[in-house]
Amino acid sequence: MDLVINTWGSFLKKKGNLFLIKTKEGSNEIAADKINTILITGSAGISSDAVELALSKNIDIVFLDKYGNPYGRVWHSKFGSTNLIRRIQIEAGRNRIGTELSKEWMNEKINNQIGFIKYLKKNRPKTGEIFDDAISFMSSFPDKINALSGTPDEIRGTVMGYEGSCSKKYFEVLSTVMTDTWKFNGRSRNPAKDGFNCLLNYGYGMLYSVVEKSCIISGLDPFAGFLHVDNYNKMSFVFDLIEKYRIFIDVPVVFLFTKKMVSEDYFDEIPGGLYLNADGKKAMIAAINQSLEEKISYSGKNMMKKNIIRADCHNIANRLLKYENEVLG
Amino acid sequence: MTLVWVIYDIVKNKTRSKVVKICKDAGLYRVQKSVFLGDINSNSRDSVILEIESIIDPEADSVYIFPMDKATFEGITLLGQAFDKKYVSDEIITRFF
Repeated sequence: MDLVINTWGSFLKKKGNLFLIKTKEGSNEIAADKINTILITGSAGISSDAVELALSKNIDIVFLDKYGNPYGRVWHSKFGSTNLIRRIQIEAGRNRIGTELSKEWMNEKINNQIGFIKYLKKNRPKTGEIFDDAISFMSSFPDKINALSGTPDEIRGTVMGYEGSCSKKYFEVLSTVMTDTWKFNGRSRNPAKDGFNCLLNYGYGMLYSVVEKSCIISGLDPFAGFLHVDNYNKMSFVFDLIEKYRIFIDVPVVFLFTKKMVSEDYFDEIPGGLYLNADGKKAMIAAINQSLEEKISYSGKNMMKKNIIRADCHNIANRLLKYENEVLG
Repeated sequence: MTLVWVIYDIVKNKTRSKVVKICKDAGLYRVQKSVFLGDINSNSRDSVILEIESIIDPEADSVYIFPMDKATFEGITLLGQAFDKKYVSDEIITRFF
């Protein structure tokens, strides 16, 4: 299970093979063997013994800021795999292999979005037109993306442009299925301007952490990306890869709203927007974890969504290894 | 899923607290004073058995270790101060503090 430390002033200690969590309400013991991840979302103390216990059991400790973005992670100082994968990965970012993989992921994202819109359309026959328009608009993009050629550097601008137009349409449609209280106007972050974006951003933050962990475990470098370039001029691989998993967050977030499970009390107002308070985080983290443990069909097997992410990362690492001669010559 | 019950009657305080520690460390939950229950893998279960065996006094103490499958567990009746069935069977995937 995931351990979430959400209360101000809690303290995490080690006691034998157990974690001892002290809060104002009392203390709780949980066996380290039962825990996958420790998420710390508020002000908390943690002892170095607890860190050591966590790392010795391959449990990672992730710190999330108030928007749900992981700002740090404690992970043992070993790479999950050989350094060769990372060398190939970095080189692949400059040639056709990086381009191929990026195109593949981007198209998968767009197809996931189209799939979700088709699903929503089924239960909303009255407003079918809006959905049909969006589907036909978005369906043209995978071919356009496939037709691009060049290095990731050369196609970056165009792919991002296509992705942007597609997502804009997608979120317009998602807004139409929301109840009047929760309709939103496009994406907003830091801060989110409305409840939907608030939950979505928090969910993407959690997803980022899951994808980052899978990358580290499979020996991929989370920073050596192909398409995404962040502010510090580092390329972020996690942002490339996360695109095709965003659907794992979009779906449960939309359902939280359409099933009327979101309360206005989940949000605190801050200048220029909203942010998720402790109650909101609790509901959100539980819903997302539940969703990531759901099994869906994946290459002929029923697999938990979060394990699919890990399996994909291993596949990518193995594919990269096959390109060794071509890339490193 | 295989749940494991550990039920004991141990004379010496020192031995008893060692058994308690072994059970807790393995990830079993204390559902009564001398009853532990939890869903642990077969390796942990074997090591629990070996560790307990090495410290108890076979002349005086008794420890019972029962496996229980999911179907039987679902049929349990709990009265009075009951434990949380979802919690001991690891169905809770997120815990907040």
